[in-house]
Amino acid sequence: MTAPNISRSAPVTPVTPVPTVAQPDSIATTLSRMLRNGGLMAAVVLYTLYSALPFVWIGTMSVRTTSEISANHFAWPETFHWEKFRIAWIDSNFAQYFWNSALIVVSAVAMVTLLGAAAAHCLARYNFRGNRLVYFILFSSIVFPPQIILISLFQVLVEYDLYNSRLGLMIVYVSLQLPLTVYLLEGFFARIPQDLFDAAKMDGYSDFEIFWRIVLPVGMPAIATTIILNFIQLWNEFLFAVVLLSDPSSRTLPIGIRAYMGDYFQDIGMIATGMMIAVIPVVVLYAFFSEKLIQGMTAGAVK
Amino acid sequence: MAAVHLEHIFKRYKGTTQPAVDDVSLSVHDGEFMVLLGPSGCGKSTTLRMIAGLESISAGSLAIDARKVNEVPAKDRDIAMVFQSYALYPHMTVADNLSFGLRRRKVDGQQIAARVKSAADILGLNELLARKPAALSGGQRQRVALGRAIVREPKVFLFDEPLSNLDAALRVNTRNELVRLHQRLDATMIYVTHDQVEAMTMGQRICVMNKGKVAQIGKPLDVYRAPADAFVARFLGNPPMNILKASIVQRDGRRVAALGGTELSLSRWAYSALPQGGYVLLGVRPEELQLHEARDDVGTLRGVVSAIEPLGAETLLMVTLDGGAGDVMARLHRDITGRIGDRVGLSTPNEALYLFDAATEKAIPATGVRAP
Repeated sequence: MTAPNISRSAPVTPVTPVPTVAQPDSIATTLSRMLRNGGLMAAVVLYTLYSALPFVWIGTMSVRTTSEISANHFAWPETFHWEKFRIAWIDSNFAQYFWNSALIVVSAVAMVTLLGAAAAHCLARYNFRGNRLVYFILFSSIVFPPQIILISLFQVLVEYDLYNSRLGLMIVYVSLQLPLTVYLLEGFFARIPQDLFDAAKMDGYSDFEIFWRIVLPVGMPAIATTIILNFIQLWNEFLFAVVLLSDPSSRTLPIGIRAYMGDYFQDIGMIATGMMIAVIPVVVLYAFFSEKLIQGMTAGAVK
Repeated sequence: MAAVHLEHIFKRYKGTTQPAVDDVSLSVHDGEFMVLLGPSGCGKSTTLRMIAGLESISAGSLAIDARKVNEVPAKDRDIAMVFQSYALYPHMTVADNLSFGLRRRKVDGQQIAARVKSAADILGLNELLARKPAALSGGQRQRVALGRAIVREPKVFLFDEPLSNLDAALRVNTRNELVRLHQRLDATMIYVTHDQVEAMTMGQRICVMNKGKVAQIGKPLDVYRAPADAFVARFLGNPPMNILKASIVQRDGRRVAALGGTELSLSRWAYSALPQGGYVLLGVRPEELQLHEARDDVGTLRGVVSAIEPLGAETLLMVTLDGGAGDVMARLHRDITGRIGDRVGLSTPNEALYLFDAATEKAIPATGVRAP
């Protein structure tokens, strides 16, 4: 070993000045660092494979026919059957399901974001009687599994003529996601400094304008998080949709995919195609929001 | 520009027995720079926020230009405020921050641009107009906060400790800038601070507050020279005034203050103003003390040096007086020599003495009439 063996834990400020020339690391140190980095890399690669491979598998199955899949479950597609997407979209009515899902989920997410942000702002900023009680009731509803209200919800929707309607499911989705949204946003909004509100008040803005022009933009990182969370959860929601919608014309995507499952035969190939159609908006949304909106917009607001 | 009048203002918070602001009366003249000075929790910021309209007034009357505004919302009082935290809108550029209030007031677009330009010129913000607050230094943010107030052209400017987040050098600069700004705008400004240097250097008048009450209002030097009570005497001046408990004794038909084995003449005070056989608080500023060798002269305080602080331009000497009379701080020439443990004497001219009532701590004014 010719290189001087300088341990990484050597004192940073020795008594004698250290020459400014970089000291080469010893082989042992380099090896141990490579091992450490290599171990970390292996863990990341393993985890990526663990989560990505099933997705790739579904991706390959989405362009293979069911008979091809039955012959060999894991084979790479010999011919890419892109026409399966056209068949699903047009013949199996996925265009309708997609539109239904988009309509219900987008409007539900928009509603839940606006209502949730407004409620969270009130709970975080105004000191009114019963503030903590409202918060506690909202918060405690997160604890219960949503299935326990399924039957009563069904009854309520039937009575209000909202059963089997997209509007009915949309309202249900809003109420399902509201508590968690309020909970997440309240915590964030409460940390916005009071001085910002006072400054806007001095600038002549009303309470609602302050909510609209200050709270919403400043709270955007948290709001983006709830949008992603709610969208993914509702886009994939199955239980309430299957119970509360029976008419084929109002089905959402998860119910549409289920139509490929018969009692005796499951069209695995078409199920995979349907799943790929369903998953695309989620991937697009995530790609957009994760980078663009989650930025430290509040950094430097106050010192 | 406007005059601001506070008459018997109270602020009580729910669940508290003591009012946060307790019977404050104050008149700020048109175009005046008034400083509200006091320690944390003395009610100065609450008073300012009540003037701004951000806190409700529990009792009393607040008038701006002779118009009672107790119930007028903040936005309609035509007041601008600079916050300690600056409170810049983080999602807006500097230009948008400056114009945000004007846009709400539906000011004509060209006029907004002109006012923003003018404020940016005054404060040197032209290069920063397109930046967001996160990309500014502390001093720049502070100037944007100032600019936001200036563009509004309000009747009254309020400042809530705007310099406390700046470093020492920047604070001195900004202090001077603010004074120049006041001269230039000739506006009514009310400035809250706990820093006596800011108060002394910036205020045309200062209002010293303590425990929610007004302790004294006056020109900075007047307040410094004639403090109304022991609190004001201690609060203004650095190091603070030495205040010692002394007993009043009869000596040759005169009353003198006795402490630490020495006696100080009280010839400037009327005989009747001094409590016979009681105690008073005796005040003397550190810069009024001169150092001697310890002698048995009348009028010389004697003790032992307990700390020496050479500050370069001057030297501070802490002396523990004989007879348990307390510690005094003397502000002396930088060249004095001495060691901890040295016995020294300190004398002061009789005109430099202050007396305060031992019970109320109110100043006992000197009359100059010699006692019989």
